[in-house]
Amino acid sequence: MRALVLRRLLHVIPLLLGISALTFLLLHLAPGDPFAAMAENPQISAETLARMRHDFGLDRPAWVQYLLYLRNIALRGDFGQSFAYHQPVARVLFARLGNTLLLAGAAALVTWGLAIPLGVLAAVRTRTWVDRTLSLVAFAGLSVPEVISGLALLYLAARTGWFPIGGMHSLDAGELGAWGRFVDLLRHLVLPALVVGIVPLASRMRQMRAGMLDVLSLDYVTTARAKGLPEPAVIGRHALRTALNPMITLFGLTLGSLLSGSFIAEFIFNWPGLGTITLEAIQRQDQYVVLGAVTMAATVLVLGNLVADVLLAIADPRIAHE
Amino acid sequence: MTRRKLEATRACVCVLLVMALAGCGRAPVGRSAFVDHNPLPPDTMTARMDEPGEHGGRFVVGATSSPKTLNALIANEQNSNDVCNLLYDSLTGTDNTTQEDIPALAKSWKWSSDGCTVTFQLRRGARFSDGHPITAEDVKFSFDVATDDSLPTVGKDGLSYVDPATGRHAKFRFEVLDSLRFSVTSPKPYAMMLSSVGAVRILPKHVLESAWKSGRFVSAYGIGTPPAQLVTSGAWRLSEFVTDQKVVLERNPWWYGVDARGRRLPYLDQVVFVIARDQNVAAMKFHAGELDGLDNVRPEDYRGYEQAREREQYTFYDIGPSLNTNFLWFNLNLAGSDTAGVRAGQPLVGPVKFAWFDNPVFRRAVSMAIDRDALIRGPFRGYAIKNWQLLTRGSRVWNDTTVTGDDYDPAGARRLLAGLGWRDRNGDGVIEDAKGNPVRFSMMTNADNTVRMDMLTLIVDDLAKIGIRVTPAPLEMSALLGHTRSDLRYDACLLGLGSASPADPGMYPNVIKSSGLTHYWRSRQPVPSTPEEARMDALFERNVYTADLQVRHRTYHDIAALMNQQAWFVWLPTQLMRLPVRARFGNVHPTPIPNRILWNADRVFVRRTAGAN
Repeated sequence: MRALVLRRLLHVIPLLLGISALTFLLLHLAPGDPFAAMAENPQISAETLARMRHDFGLDRPAWVQYLLYLRNIALRGDFGQSFAYHQPVARVLFARLGNTLLLAGAAALVTWGLAIPLGVLAAVRTRTWVDRTLSLVAFAGLSVPEVISGLALLYLAARTGWFPIGGMHSLDAGELGAWGRFVDLLRHLVLPALVVGIVPLASRMRQMRAGMLDVLSLDYVTTARAKGLPEPAVIGRHALRTALNPMITLFGLTLGSLLSGSFIAEFIFNWPGLGTITLEAIQRQDQYVVLGAVTMAATVLVLGNLVADVLLAIADPRIAHE
Repeated sequence: MTRRKLEATRACVCVLLVMALAGCGRAPVGRSAFVDHNPLPPDTMTARMDEPGEHGGRFVVGATSSPKTLNALIANEQNSNDVCNLLYDSLTGTDNTTQEDIPALAKSWKWSSDGCTVTFQLRRGARFSDGHPITAEDVKFSFDVATDDSLPTVGKDGLSYVDPATGRHAKFRFEVLDSLRFSVTSPKPYAMMLSSVGAVRILPKHVLESAWKSGRFVSAYGIGTPPAQLVTSGAWRLSEFVTDQKVVLERNPWWYGVDARGRRLPYLDQVVFVIARDQNVAAMKFHAGELDGLDNVRPEDYRGYEQAREREQYTFYDIGPSLNTNFLWFNLNLAGSDTAGVRAGQPLVGPVKFAWFDNPVFRRAVSMAIDRDALIRGPFRGYAIKNWQLLTRGSRVWNDTTVTGDDYDPAGARRLLAGLGWRDRNGDGVIEDAKGNPVRFSMMTNADNTVRMDMLTLIVDDLAKIGIRVTPAPLEMSALLGHTRSDLRYDACLLGLGSASPADPGMYPNVIKSSGLTHYWRSRQPVPSTPEEARMDALFERNVYTADLQVRHRTYHDIAALMNQQAWFVWLPTQLMRLPVRARFGNVHPTPIPNRILWNADRVFVRRTAGAN
């Protein structure tokens, strides 16, 4: 098991190097630079801009900039400075990573919290109206783009006042107690988590349903039923545990869609996560922020997959030995 | 059966939980009694206002993005500036309604007889938000930092004199005369002196000097600064900053502004900037009562705001023409060095297109082909006026109503082109130039601006009617800027210029002068390429290096007239701006100058009759 984790961790290094190099290359192929927008200010002279470019090292060739970037990370753990914020990238991004993970985590809860019971229900009531309705609803959720569902939910929130219109905290959250702040955060979390979590729900539910159907036709389930076990015990205690196994692998895959979904939902819901700042940084060509954010997201994704592998190895010892 | 019951119960619990979460209402904002704990300074500033107000309450405004820094001398984009403008004062300020320079930290100033030196008298007893006195040393510190060549400060080019003969920059001289007197000297009388001085926000030397000396000034007063450490000179200080969520400002208890009854300003307890990136979301937040005002509303949304006015109790202010311009131009840039098939000194658009674009008759014909009334009716939904110059009708001081350009006259445009020998020889609907080249080119604009995109669509149709085939090229903003600025590979572009504050022709050296960066049609000319370009340069020098306002108006008129005669910019309409602000606030005077609603936040107050809201 330890060897598995170690091997996977070593794979991460070339992967992250590749991702960061590719990101850097793409940023440099795009026209403009971090000072392009500033140059629109009709008062700034060409000399002043040239000096700023020089001071920030932007007049050097791209590969030199990239190697310097790597060297600073290796030697000092310095991920560069943001051109817009004039702050270290790590400081700018770190709090936002937490917010994105919170949203993605809540969305994962929505996805799995609904996919598993609904998938089981669809399998138990297979080919009935329940099964068909669930599929229809799930695929509707899959088909509606997050931008649309997000705006629709916000509109609902605006009309009914049931939920806040975006953001992460109320204006007066500071005056609430710890419990009040927690509830306030939950209220802000519900809609974006729904928007992000609904998208992968359809496929996960169908997979759960298929897995469950497979298991339900196995002999040992028939045996359990024959023993006279009540149906909830057959489903919950015997069939579900076996059927859940493939879902663990899917957890790692779902993480990617949840993370990218969060990036979109963050923009609509003013959720202060990695997505909003990355988009803004790309527009302003704030290159080290983009690099930092992409690397962070990639790391989370890789680690998520690793966790899924480990879980699977625990659930199915054959895998660790392969 | 039991399982069903269980599921039903679970579902009920879920619903109840959601409802409980949903039901938690907003905390009401009460009016706390204001007690002024600090003595008023000897030199207070009595703010001009419609009516004396009441203390208390807050104003919540929507912002499109979070400030990037709270360091006023480093801030270089609108969201940071909007907040910094409230946090820090300068020696002079601007009354955005009259657009005149007014006293701020300096209670008065005097010009020397040669018009080169201005001496500022600071207010006695003015203090930073930590109670520390503001002296001429703080002012000197701020000017030294603002003109420090090693820092990415934006105001430094306004504080130096550029010799037109040699192109050399010479910094102005800043002197501390005594603790309350400070002077700025320029080598020549300089018309932009007060506005350049007004652009320098005064920062506390006792807090920031060590950061400057150790080279850490750029990151000082960044977004992570604890509010208590952010010492400010303006009417407000920082109360809370949550990145990408909100910026809460509270009253600076030491500020020198008072109302007519001698009570300390500001009236409001708090000003809150709430970040709402998406304009649709911002609108929802406003309609739901989460925001008290919006700084930026698209013409296509005006109707919706007009309708909900009474029901939601807000005023939809008509604040007149925007200071932002719209125009298109043709790329006349020459290659600086041998690049991708173009020799140094050759036109980047190639010889054929250059021959068209370089001809003022062609450019005027394009201007005459554009139906500006249709642009106003369509993309602007009727909320726009024609504009023919850099300083729109929004500029009270500078707009020159006698200047006009070539307006819609398609027959006239056809005549001009026919006069050049351009006509449709093969009957394909596209005219050919005298040498038989079909007149086709592309035109870029930034795709995120719906009004510009709609304008481009109509202009393509208008030009097709006189036989010119234009391919629209919508681009993302930074990609577009990459073309207009770096590689200069494009045919034509539809864009606009935002206004600096205050609006003044002297704020546009880069647009007017042939050496300028935003002299888009042919930027960074080593020497003026045509007699007309040389004339523009000379007019700009005369406009800026003089103290005589009449000379300034005359030279501005000549610049504007010359730009139209040459049609370097083909001018397009300018938006008429409207903004919604809740009716319960008094002394609100939105203007088209940035910080449109909150420029006079120190005087805004909540009316008592509506105080319960």
